Amino acid sequence: MKKYAPLLLLLLLSFDGFAGGVYQEPDAFIAEAFADNPPKADVIWPTGALKTQMKQILGHDYKGLRIRYWRKADRTAWILDEIGKDKPITTGFVTNQGRIETARVLIFRESRGWEVRHAFFTDQFNQVSLNTANKLDRHIDNITGATLSVRAVTKLARLALLLDQAVSEQQAAL
Amino acid sequence: MTGRQGHKHTAFLWHRRIGLVAIALVLVLAITGISLNHTESLKLDEAYIDSALLLRWYGLEPEGEAISYDVGEHIITVLDHQVFFNTYPVTTTEQTFRGAVKTAQLIVLAFDSELVLLTTDGEFVERMPTGHGFSDIQRIGIKYQRPVIETAEPHYYMADEHMLDWDVIINDEVSWAQSTTLDPTKMAVLLESFRGRGLTLERVILDLHSGRIFGELGVYVMDAAALALLWLSLSGLWVWWRRSLKQKRKRHYQKHHRVQVEHRPS
Repeated sequence: MKKYAPLLLLLLLSFDGFAGGVYQEPDAFIAEAFADNPPKADVIWPTGALKTQMKQILGHDYKGLRIRYWRKADRTAWILDEIGKDKPITTGFVTNQGRIETARVLIFRESRGWEVRHAFFTDQFNQVSLNTANKLDRHIDNITGATLSVRAVTKLARLALLLDQAVSEQQAAL
Repeated sequence: MTGRQGHKHTAFLWHRRIGLVAIALVLVLAITGISLNHTESLKLDEAYIDSALLLRWYGLEPEGEAISYDVGEHIITVLDHQVFFNTYPVTTTEQTFRGAVKTAQLIVLAFDSELVLLTTDGEFVERMPTGHGFSDIQRIGIKYQRPVIETAEPHYYMADEHMLDWDVIINDEVSWAQSTTLDPTKMAVLLESFRGRGLTLERVILDLHSGRIFGELGVYVMDAAALALLWLSLSGLWVWWRRSLKQKRKRHYQKHHRVQVEHRPS
């Protein structure tokens, strides 16, 4: 049996190679973000300049005509999807007064790049905001072997802040 | 002398062996090469493959049955994870299709644990994961122009007109979505849409020529065939040169020997 131990260890390690899946259900994220008392969902229909800016960030049109969000006072929660390599990465963001309060990878469907789920990566987005060029005001470190996933999550962080800005402007105009 | 004979023999033997092994591949290379040189005149790029085996090999044959639901004058179909509005692909899904209904403003598609919203023109609006709230959707229906979801428990939820909020209701006066079967004509159009522009004969011949039709290994096999062809030409040249040298020596020897015999004093 002992002679098969290294082989078994190798097999176990290879299975650990894919650690994707559902890390947190989107509605559980929303509930947690608002201390189990989430507000009613609202939607934004991006058009005109906002749509153009979103396209500039993503490099393509956002898939969908409307985006759902949850807002209470200055805090807004977003569940956004972006494809890393082949499949969408679902990420949750909570923004507060134009800065990211929480960033969390909720569902990871790709076979590689799942390292972006770890706090050492997502914590980099804490208190990050957008500059005038719609870029993050802080550099986000890459993860070797997860470049596409890092890019996707970084784009989504920019998108969440942009949408938060748009929603805040809408609220202010009311 | 023995060593030289052995060397000559080895070259000829390998020429013959490799020639025999490579013959099938060289034939494929030659026939496909000639065909590709005349793609236009043979109209290979206009001939489409309809062999189910080949289409499946290329991943163009859908797996599983099509599931369709009527939504007014349109049909929503899910075929091999692809969601179609009539014959236009709108999105993909990994979940089981539970039905589709048309509300006053939207078309709502239900899957195991998510809803997909389309405009009445089939434009993608939003994908709504249902999460813990009411996962395990069994079917979708309509009541007062609003979508109703039945979960596995079973519980019944009705959405507001903007699909933002859900209320628990009782199963009463709900018109549940009924699946429909596509007629052969519509199915043929859908399959055409699923396969895109289809698979041309030129593509298949090109992939046969490069070996890509059998994946990465096929490319190496065709590389080996090309190397075998290279070996055959060089070894053939070598065998021909050795033979001509031998014949030249033989003629020289015979001539020389004959001269000696003729001039031998009697």
